[in-house]
Amino acid sequence: MEKVRRLSDFTHKLNKTALSGKRGKGLTDLEITLDGNCPQNISEELEYAYCIKLIAENAPIRILPGEKIIGSATLKQSAYHKIPVMKDGKIRFPSVSHLTLGFDFALKMGYNGLLKDIEERKLKNDLDEKGSNLLNAMKMCIEAANTWHQRHVEALQELIKNSRAVEKCNYEAVLKNIEHIPEKPPSSFYEAAQSLYFMFSFQRLCGNWSGIGRIDEMLGGFLKKDLKEGKVSLSEAREILAHFWIKGCDWLGFEGSQGGSGDAMFYQNIILGGINAEGKDITNEVTYLILDVVEELKINEFPIAVRLSSKSPEKLIRRVAEVQSLGGGILAVYNEETVIKALVKFGYPLKIARSFANDGCWEILIPGKTAFIYFPIDVFLILQKTLGVAEKTTAKKYGSFEKLYGAYKKNLSIAIDSFNRIADKDFASGKPATLISLLIKDCIRKGRGYNERGARYTVFSPHAGGLQDAGNSLHVIKSLVYDKKTVKLSGLVRALKNNWEGEEQLRQHILNSMELYGNDSKPADTMVKRVLDDFLQLTGKVKERKGVLRPPGISTFGREIEWREKRKASAHGYRQETPLAINFSPTPGSDKNSITAVIKSYCFMDLKRLPNGTALDLKLHPTSVKGKNGVAALEGVLKAFVKLKGFFMHINVIDNKTLLDAQKHPEKYRGLSVRISGWSARFVTLNKEWQQMIINRTLHK
Amino acid sequence: MKKGLVFDIQKYCTHDGPGIRTTVFLKGCNLNCAWCHNPESIKKIIEIYFTPEKCINCGNCVAVCENGAHLIKKGKHFYSRKKCTLCLKCAGVCDSKAVECVGKEMTSNEVIKKVKEDFEFYEASGGGLTLSGGEPFSQFEFTLELLKKAHAERINTCVETNGAVEKSRLAAVLPYVDLFLYDIKDTGTKRHKYFTGAACDRILENLKFVDSKGKQTILRCLMIKGVNLTAKHLANIANIYMHLKHCKGVELLPYHPYGTSKAEKLGASRKKNTRWIPSETKLQRAKQLLLKKKVEMIE
Repeated sequence: MEKVRRLSDFTHKLNKTALSGKRGKGLTDLEITLDGNCPQNISEELEYAYCIKLIAENAPIRILPGEKIIGSATLKQSAYHKIPVMKDGKIRFPSVSHLTLGFDFALKMGYNGLLKDIEERKLKNDLDEKGSNLLNAMKMCIEAANTWHQRHVEALQELIKNSRAVEKCNYEAVLKNIEHIPEKPPSSFYEAAQSLYFMFSFQRLCGNWSGIGRIDEMLGGFLKKDLKEGKVSLSEAREILAHFWIKGCDWLGFEGSQGGSGDAMFYQNIILGGINAEGKDITNEVTYLILDVVEELKINEFPIAVRLSSKSPEKLIRRVAEVQSLGGGILAVYNEETVIKALVKFGYPLKIARSFANDGCWEILIPGKTAFIYFPIDVFLILQKTLGVAEKTTAKKYGSFEKLYGAYKKNLSIAIDSFNRIADKDFASGKPATLISLLIKDCIRKGRGYNERGARYTVFSPHAGGLQDAGNSLHVIKSLVYDKKTVKLSGLVRALKNNWEGEEQLRQHILNSMELYGNDSKPADTMVKRVLDDFLQLTGKVKERKGVLRPPGISTFGREIEWREKRKASAHGYRQETPLAINFSPTPGSDKNSITAVIKSYCFMDLKRLPNGTALDLKLHPTSVKGKNGVAALEGVLKAFVKLKGFFMHINVIDNKTLLDAQKHPEKYRGLSVRISGWSARFVTLNKEWQQMIINRTLHK
Repeated sequence: MKKGLVFDIQKYCTHDGPGIRTTVFLKGCNLNCAWCHNPESIKKIIEIYFTPEKCINCGNCVAVCENGAHLIKKGKHFYSRKKCTLCLKCAGVCDSKAVECVGKEMTSNEVIKKVKEDFEFYEASGGGLTLSGGEPFSQFEFTLELLKKAHAERINTCVETNGAVEKSRLAAVLPYVDLFLYDIKDTGTKRHKYFTGAACDRILENLKFVDSKGKQTILRCLMIKGVNLTAKHLANIANIYMHLKHCKGVELLPYHPYGTSKAEKLGASRKKNTRWIPSETKLQRAKQLLLKKKVEMIE
């Protein structure tokens, strides 16, 4: 496809520096401590607020010449996902991620509006001590954010004094733009974009990693008004958004310790498109300008998920396909029809359900109203234990397939009961997260923080992993052991315990003659569906208890790598060392037919019963999206995905040759980004096992 | 119901006509092109693919073979095509697919059922069924039945053909074909005969006939360096295109030697002609030449 160039040369230059990783390498390792900087014997909530105050006062301010959006999170500890303040030599408070804050309402109100809410709540005079500590601490957090803002004002004034005409002009424009925001509500598109970035970035500076949410819904109205009044042109707006996106690369190049998931893009997820609370499609100029920007600048730092439906504008679907076809995994898609149905079925009011976003990955939540964590349950391990294959278990006898299945279901039920007991207890750390609570609805009203069930929705999701592997295994066992009687269960279990050693012929027979989940083959898909339905039936018994909602999801997020040790070899022909399936995708290599068959298998499941969501992770060879018809085909895939009632899907367009070469010569591929699932990462920052996981995914043509 | 010999069904084909398509490859071809990309498609019988690397020395094939065609000696698997009578028993017992059948008998209903699985994708993309081969017309009745049934199911149809077929047969399928992917292998009469075994006159005549009946075509032109990648051939292609009323464009396909590894597994000898592979610059030049002559190019 021809390269489009709509953005200015300067913006491209700025982007080049950002993508080089220079910014991320320049983060400051600052030691901030509460010791001596905070009164003794104050409440935990206030101590938290002092942490935020110290960060706001001490973090270096970084403003670059020519950048239109400012507000850098400059501390190294923050990029480690830590609240960078110590006490007695230890990090004082845990940070929060896997959420999307209420930037939508905060933007509309400004910090002053939030302050007003706090004051009004205090006037009711019915808060307990904890509540009033929380609200006082919230006030301090806002003051700290204002301090940080004020320091930007001063820094700009200083820069203006000391710079040449060209740069001075931009500094003056930026200074003018931050005169009223984020304290007051924005009055223009430019102010709104800047205010949002300030709010978002201050959270990140303080170690919390929130997603941004529905940016086009938040900014669309401002742009529409400005365009109408001639205050800004489309190309100026595009430049502003480009600078917003470049700003998002501030931590790029930071060699953190993200373990397996590489640099993981710091969970700064963005949602585009979809309907609003009233059911009207919100896709607007901002949506398209953002797609222009990521297409032209190839920035993946904000992993984007686009909400599609059968009523999505044709243009949106086409643009999504065009950007996806370029590779890099920037865009994933939700079928909002299924998502909203799932949320309503679970019990959310329709209007609330329509406002869904994600948690910085792909799990579904209501932005600005939800405290979220999840609990992984390795369903496949439960099957392996039932069979007596897993570690420290012995082979068991089952006279019929139904007896085996019944035993498995009983064990699953025990695991879910145990999850429910855990979910009854303290939520997450139970510790203050005041800066977070400030942007979560109902915390002020209830006088309770994010980790204290203060949010409108406190969600602890049971997530099944390896569900399709359990289904695949059961399908093979039913067929070979109980139906065809090719092999005895005891013999099969022995083979699995021995990691298939000496049973290569049987293993080959299974690999070559059994169609597994992911091939649009009903016998396997039906078994996986049965395993899913039973998981949903069991988790459905407790939807809510002790103020905690428990919507189920299906995920592994790469856990299939660490889970190998306990799981041992699988009846569907995989040796122990081979990682099994990720999320709700087929077991790598078992989807032998086509991307369409995989989608059909996935959509055969009752996905509208998974309110917390699940992902289909696909890899497509670049040749199959080449040319006009390649993009048109991808468009068709998106439309069919919606029609078939899919949930969430991402497609990496890349060939294995490139990935293998990147393993050999990482220096040549520093910028190569792959989508892992709800997040993306630079391929070379992944450890070897995670790189292999991406390579092992079936490459469809 | 008629049975046909199918050697592959590929879903999500994005370059065999418009949209997302399922391509059904039928076995049997009336030509024998030196550069054939699908050598397994030529013979209209079920053949044996032999891939010794996949063998796990289980000995199942040796046990079932009545003609001693399989032999495993010191962990090495030998297979004699001379002794083999193509009874196919060995393929039936091979778990590791070291020995497997190429070609499968299927009824038209079985094929259509498989094709229908991706119906939603066709609807969403304007795609459908593509019949390819081999040469679909070498299984004329089966081809006709498949096309009729596809149309009855509201599935769009493309047929890839070399055009060296009887006009009456072309006429018979016309109502059930939405688009022909029509091969123009060469326009040099002698060369065509030499490399494919057939003359090109009838092919071009048939093309005109199809066009006169208002059928859409895409011309698929294999580019072979040192054979047909000449200015004259390209000019001929442009000329053919210009005289067609319903041709949607020309697609240039570079020769690739992938067919040779498949031929090897079949025990057929086919020379790997790397010198036939056209360079990217040559291809681009050819494309430019056609564009200059106002030919619509299909990517």
